[in-house]
Amino acid sequence: MRRAPLVCALALGLGLVAVPFIFGMFDRAPRGAVMLDEFRPFMTDETITTFDGYLAEMDAAEAEAQGDLRAFLAESGVVPDAGFDQEFPLVASFSEEWPAIDEDMSGLLADIGDNVENYEAVDALPPFTLFPWFFVAPGLLIAGVAGFALVRRSTGSAARWALVGLGVGLIAAPAVFQMFTRAPKGGEMIDRFRPIMERDRVQRIQGYFVTIGAAEGTLRAQALPLAQEQGGLSEADLDERFPAIRELNRDWQTIVADDTGFAAMIGAMSDNVDNYEAVDALPPFSLFPWFFVIPGVLLAGVGLISRRPTPALATVPATPARTLEPSIPQRSTR
Amino acid sequence: MTNRRARLRVLAGALAASLALVATALAGASGAEAGGGKSKKLVGTFELDAGTCDAAGVATGSYFKMIQPGGTIEAGPVLPNVDSTCSNKDVTLLEPGTDGGLRTGKYQPQPDPAFDATGNGLADRIHTPTGFFGIDFASSTNKTDPQTGEQVPAITIKVKGAKLSGNTSAYSVAYGNQQFNQGAPKPDESLPGLTRKLTGTYAASTREFELEWVSQIVGGPFNDFTGIWHLEGTFKPSKG
Repeated sequence: MRRAPLVCALALGLGLVAVPFIFGMFDRAPRGAVMLDEFRPFMTDETITTFDGYLAEMDAAEAEAQGDLRAFLAESGVVPDAGFDQEFPLVASFSEEWPAIDEDMSGLLADIGDNVENYEAVDALPPFTLFPWFFVAPGLLIAGVAGFALVRRSTGSAARWALVGLGVGLIAAPAVFQMFTRAPKGGEMIDRFRPIMERDRVQRIQGYFVTIGAAEGTLRAQALPLAQEQGGLSEADLDERFPAIRELNRDWQTIVADDTGFAAMIGAMSDNVDNYEAVDALPPFSLFPWFFVIPGVLLAGVGLISRRPTPALATVPATPARTLEPSIPQRSTR
Repeated sequence: MTNRRARLRVLAGALAASLALVATALAGASGAEAGGGKSKKLVGTFELDAGTCDAAGVATGSYFKMIQPGGTIEAGPVLPNVDSTCSNKDVTLLEPGTDGGLRTGKYQPQPDPAFDATGNGLADRIHTPTGFFGIDFASSTNKTDPQTGEQVPAITIKVKGAKLSGNTSAYSVAYGNQQFNQGAPKPDESLPGLTRKLTGTYAASTREFELEWVSQIVGGPFNDFTGIWHLEGTFKPSKG
């Protein structure tokens, strides 16, 4: 085999080994794996629909608090209309902030919902933790074969065909793992999540949770008991008159404590801001298939051209034809 | 003659070195006394006085407050707990649990399961489960911190003079099917954000104590919220 193509193959192999170190994949890829795991419970259409339902509940409860409840307390002489906000300041804050909260949270859920399919595509890729090894393992194999052939000054075709085979394997890998369709979807998801997965944004959402929770608690522990005790309402009356507030009260524990509840989602977002940043710092997902295809093509090409040319007959230097002379026995002079 | 002089020099050197050692030791002893003497571990139960609240919303006894992200210990803002029985909703009053309070030298682990079906914390040895935003939080101390999975020492509290110090890294709160380390320092011995180690006062004659530590939550839905734990009561030493 010729030496120059083998040196190229060795360089390609070492280059592949170097890729995960250059891009910090040994640290970043496992962080991506953690993020995917922790987002899994929330990246379903069913969960997003449930969350949309909670927003609708909150919206209805807010309207009911400022509508029917406020009117009832005023008509019953319990809390005058003008004194409602002063009596229940946490409900007043909620009402003031709710339109912005609703818009922001609805947008957030829409963004997440739009990316369920993208998430599923990324989640169907091989585990992120293996990503660095997809470069290191073939890189070492290629470097090993090329290095062996160089050291042994191999003239056989085994090393050459091994390199061609490895090249074809690299070309085929993205197709086998459907990277050409899945990786760009991952890239799209990462792009769409960029404005969501920021510490400030997550803290703002934590703040919404506090505002909503404080209002829910005020309605449950203060306003409705007041309506019940001083307004002469029974439990059944409360259900009938204020169904939206009662529904929010009933669902609140689920919203806070369920494994796929709002609080859990905020927790997952908060815990993964750093992991998201690590994944976002990787090269664009859409380029990943080409990280295999391009070296694969180069390697296969190198393998194919590395064959040492067979000496052609025409190039064999001609030797002068010798004239056959009859062998004449020499007579001894003795 | 020369040997005699040399021996005298050695003797003088040894004497000087001894004097220097004695002087250093004396200086060290007086420094320790100035600082209140040697600290002593208080092993037993810090029995809690239940939290109470006057009409103006000023709390005494044992209570908990939560600072919102970006706030300060002194100025808040404090997260109001509408489920608090105090008129001042910034303060969540605590009542002693089945052990009477916080034990040092031994863990007070959470039960298994740690939560009921709706996410209320169930541990009740230190203080009774306490309502917070519609769900009960419950405190425990565990050899393996439930949030971080790290091994942590049992609570230690020391007294030096009348001042308390200590390590509460094993203190954990279960709330809404989530676990939050609320110790200081944290299990990895860090003091993130507003986290402050335990400080307080102790009257040896009456064994009355007042202590406080501050722990910023790391991770989860309440990331960067900070718990202030203020405990008052009477220390009951363990027997033997």
